[in-house]
Amino acid sequence: MSNQPLLQIQNLRTSFRIGDDYFAAVDDVSLTVNENEVVAIVGESGCGKSALAMSIMGLHPQERTKLEGKINFKGKNLLSLSTNEMNKVRGKEIGMIFQDPLTALNPLMTCGKQIEESMTVHTNMSSEAKRKRTIELLKKVGIPNPERTYKQYPHELSGGMRQRVVIAIAVACDPLLVIADEPTTALDVTIQAQIMDLLKDLQNQTKTGIILITHDLGVVAEMADRVAVMYAGEIVEIADVHTLFKNPLHPYTRSLFNSIPSSTSTKDRLHVIQGIVPSLKNLPRSGCRFKDRIKWIGDKEHEVNPLLREVSPNHYVRCTCYKNFHFSDEDVGDMNYGIS
Amino acid sequence: MLKFILRRILVMIPQLFILSILIFLLAKAMPGDALTGQLASNPKMDAQTLHELKQKLGMYDPYYVQYARWIKGLLHGNLGMSIIHQTPVTSLIAGKMWNTVLLGAAVLILSYLIAIPLGIIGGRWTDTWADKMIVGYNYLTYATPLFIFALLMLFIFGFVLGWFPTSGSVDIRVENGTFAYYMSKLNHLILPALSGAIVSTTVTIQYLRNEIIDTKIKDFVKTARAKGVSESKVYTRHIFRNSLLPIAAFLGYDIVSLIGGSVFLESIYGYPGIGQLFLTSIMQRDFSVVTALVMISGLATLIGTLLSDIILSAVDPRIRIE
Amino acid sequence: MAFLKVNNLKVYYPIRGGFFRRVVAHVKAVDDISFELNQGETYGLVGESGCGKTTTGRTIMGLIKATSGEVLFENQDLLKMNRRDFNQHRKDIQMIFQDPYSSLNPRKRVLDIVAEPLRNFERLSPAEEKKKVQFYLEKVGLNPEAIYNYPHEFSGGQRQRIGIARALTLKPKLIIADEPVSALDVSVQAQVLNFMQDIQKEFNLTYLFISHDLGIIQHMCDRIGIMYRGQFVEEGTSRDIYTNPQHIYTKRLISAIPDINPENRENQMKLRQEINSEYKNSYDKYFNAEGKVYNLKPISDTHLVALP
Repeated sequence: MSNQPLLQIQNLRTSFRIGDDYFAAVDDVSLTVNENEVVAIVGESGCGKSALAMSIMGLHPQERTKLEGKINFKGKNLLSLSTNEMNKVRGKEIGMIFQDPLTALNPLMTCGKQIEESMTVHTNMSSEAKRKRTIELLKKVGIPNPERTYKQYPHELSGGMRQRVVIAIAVACDPLLVIADEPTTALDVTIQAQIMDLLKDLQNQTKTGIILITHDLGVVAEMADRVAVMYAGEIVEIADVHTLFKNPLHPYTRSLFNSIPSSTSTKDRLHVIQGIVPSLKNLPRSGCRFKDRIKWIGDKEHEVNPLLREVSPNHYVRCTCYKNFHFSDEDVGDMNYGIS
Repeated sequence: MLKFILRRILVMIPQLFILSILIFLLAKAMPGDALTGQLASNPKMDAQTLHELKQKLGMYDPYYVQYARWIKGLLHGNLGMSIIHQTPVTSLIAGKMWNTVLLGAAVLILSYLIAIPLGIIGGRWTDTWADKMIVGYNYLTYATPLFIFALLMLFIFGFVLGWFPTSGSVDIRVENGTFAYYMSKLNHLILPALSGAIVSTTVTIQYLRNEIIDTKIKDFVKTARAKGVSESKVYTRHIFRNSLLPIAAFLGYDIVSLIGGSVFLESIYGYPGIGQLFLTSIMQRDFSVVTALVMISGLATLIGTLLSDIILSAVDPRIRIE
Repeated sequence: MAFLKVNNLKVYYPIRGGFFRRVVAHVKAVDDISFELNQGETYGLVGESGCGKTTTGRTIMGLIKATSGEVLFENQDLLKMNRRDFNQHRKDIQMIFQDPYSSLNPRKRVLDIVAEPLRNFERLSPAEEKKKVQFYLEKVGLNPEAIYNYPHEFSGGQRQRIGIARALTLKPKLIIADEPVSALDVSVQAQVLNFMQDIQKEFNLTYLFISHDLGIIQHMCDRIGIMYRGQFVEEGTSRDIYTNPQHIYTKRLISAIPDINPENRENQMKLRQEINSEYKNSYDKYFNAEGKVYNLKPISDTHLVALP
């Protein structure tokens, strides 16, 4: 088990049906997650990062989704499992944390019951044992009065406390892998810090693998071991967190870094990526997908069939356009007159 | 909880008072009265007796005196005398009330028995042939007026096929209290109850179906699936309970509206109940009966809203009343 | 004299209880705050959800009724004005909302959305109106030909710029921007923020910038006020607040911002723990017996802190 990655995604393509056609929201994604590793997937809305997470969990509506490729987890391909077999993986071996704690909990069920439900599904524990474990879990996720919260309904808790309950649900059955989809986006900054610390703490104790989906590079910097940057359904760059933050290579990654206001850039102009994120129907299906947004880079810099290549040990970049990439001098902001 | 109910009842007092004034004025504003019509039909009635009768009944008194007399009676539980039937309104209503409640309860139960499964099926398996049939059924019942549907049912199952009696609430030939008596009651009930139920399923089915479709895509349902909860349990434990909330909110009104009766059903099936009494009383200008019935249904509506709030607070922990 | 001066503003909401639903207490959404804006500057109002920053902005706009206090705009109290005078001043104060998806009426064309304030305040012929709308659309970097399109045909950043064009048409002096980029992706966010800085110079605008994002506040604002439970805990220039925070709450907020450098991860975590324990240990130093903060006291020309 030691050298085997915990999760290995190979050439995953997730397509959704719109009208009569299928459009790939996740395209040819390969990614591994090891035990005790936090892999962040970063990108803007519509890049396919959440679709990727839901594909691993098998939570896309089957009748409108086509999944191709392989998702190997503990020696089995999740995509070939039946619904029943998949239900045994969900919640037991892979836990999931959702973005918005206000909506992620059933308003008519007490927090205790919602945490216990995972155990009911996956174990034969007695109700007393479940209760004990639930209260233990609540304590573990930092809830000050677990006996009381056990009996409370979600609306009686603050956002931060609810997110702790959501985390308790995700880790209730000691999963090997936790997928956290924007776990702190809906929270205030001080609560965000607490939740990040909690996740790190839990991970240190349990050696769980974590897939952290986020748009916030700050959260990535604080949490991740390895980072995959997604654009338009593809991974455009993967590297360990230190390399990526010190030496980002892909033009999209570099643009992203330049567009966040940081303490060093006070009152300077922020970098604006020209053009707009293409919609699922209008994704460029061949060539470099970022080409249209860096028009000043000549055609010959791009590959015809851009692949994710290892440019230095464990640092992968898609397309050759990064080699001679430079920011355009006249950064006039987004003056495109088009309508998406 | 008790405090809440008490306060709500206190608030009802001025509401009922205003309602009573409105009803009284409206009744007085209606043209004609219960007696004038008898001039032509009743040989014992002449202008002189009519005048004396009216005087005796206080019909010439100023409105406020008449109102005061009426409201005083009301407060004593005396709803007045029916001029047409020459009996106290209370006993007149009480006699019909049981039939109406019986019919109303049957309609309500049948309607939920049909609507809830259909709504659940339509919501869970959207766009399947079963769902399309249910939506079709819904359009049909929505477009069909009760009085036409009831007449059709009466014609087919009552007159053509002869399966059910076509009028009344019980066979007058059977002895009161025997087994045959109850069977006869049931037999008289089936057809009107079924007609009423089928037509009233529309709203519940539509509501429930939409509610389930909305709830299906909620985040907490995703959380449940991510826990590994099986599809059927996701529905029974998470989706249905949340989707039934708005239906539960209507239940309060529904229960109380039982006593209002249905004018259409009772008239078409010749079923002796409150609805039928209401209609004939209006036609005969038997105002004491009309005002009493409107007052009762007004009171029922107020109690219905209170009941709905209480039911909702019982099923939804987010709503707490104190 | 200050351009906008808020004096002892209070916004209370009653809590009713008991048998007769009497007012038993108040929710103090905004509890006695005072601050002022100079013309041409960007003033940041920061705090966590429920701290009263949005309520403050809306009260200045006249969208929420103040319980007491003064809002002096060019030396006239907006709260004491009659309706007609207030409407005249309302022209000078406009608002940009958080969510570009829900703040534009989906059934209206861009022309109607942007022209709406014009129609309320000025009598223009359709041709003049169209010209003006196109002028502002061009200013915000949108195609002037797009006036007959509907909001759903635009991306999030473009919609936010439509909202800004609408706010600009009456040539306002003050713009209250309530979380203007929170709903946008980082790259689009950059676009809108740059653009807000451009038009500030061009039209000599003053911004009241309300946000929970301390990174954006630092980037945009000259002076900053930190709010906590309806009160100010600290006020100062951007430099005062970020390099020399004095109140424990401010320190806590700032230490909670994720550091963009992964090398600092350990230090950041340690710093956070230190400040959290300081927060617990020295609570009495910063909060009075009721858990409220003290009144602001100056510690330099620009820097005010709520200390006993």
